[in-house]
Amino acid sequence: MAEDSTPGRAPLIWGLVFVVAMFGTGFGARFAHLSGFWTMVVMLPPMLLLIPMIRSAERSGNLSGCTSPALKRYNRRGLIWAFSYVAALFFAISVNDALKPEGPLLWLIAVLPALPIVYFVWALYRYLVEETDEYLKMRYVTHALFGLGLLLVVATVWGFLESFKVVPHVESWMTVPVWAIGLGVAQIWQRVRGS
Amino acid sequence: MRNRLKVLRAERDWSQGDLAERLQVSRQSVNAIETGKYDPSLPLAFRIADLFGLPIEEIFLKD
Repeated sequence: MAEDSTPGRAPLIWGLVFVVAMFGTGFGARFAHLSGFWTMVVMLPPMLLLIPMIRSAERSGNLSGCTSPALKRYNRRGLIWAFSYVAALFFAISVNDALKPEGPLLWLIAVLPALPIVYFVWALYRYLVEETDEYLKMRYVTHALFGLGLLLVVATVWGFLESFKVVPHVESWMTVPVWAIGLGVAQIWQRVRGS
Repeated sequence: MRNRLKVLRAERDWSQGDLAERLQVSRQSVNAIETGKYDPSLPLAFRIADLFGLPIEEIFLKD
């Protein structure tokens, strides 16, 4: 058995393919002036890349001895929230386009895509509660704090730029993607350093 | 903090995976402790000491 951790590059490559596909499709949809409904339709295939990405990360974790039952549960929950989010957003946009709801129904439709994100935050909490491996837990907390730091910096700088009318307004639901990018960058940085 | 984990493990002909299984932690954790990248908590240090049948201070050494 190998003594040192030798994680493969496959998860990084899958992650890169996923990010490029998501952003590429998103920009493509905007460039083609697709409606909300069709944007969601074309975003589904790149979302499916999450499955091989997470499987690849788990295989790499098994090879490098960097895995735990809690981490596997966290990854499963990650898939659940990601696909629930797409489904909820798809449903909300479709209903909004078709019915043009007002009042309480509009509130309900508007909050629907946020519910999977609430589940995601719960999954984060559960991971930290369920993880019994203190080193893996410490690593995750470090990565999460890096993501939080990035979010605070980006949100503050962007907020002031926005106040001075230098940049356009950005919706506040962007907080989670920015945080997740920070988390991913911290994880990649740790892999690159080989620690 | 330095430690003698690698030597103690080698004396018993255990791989990092064997030690990780006995301690019920990931192999990555054993690797991080052995290479000095991570200092274990007191409860884990006691578990390691119990496993090797040694006092903590004979496994973990001050720099």
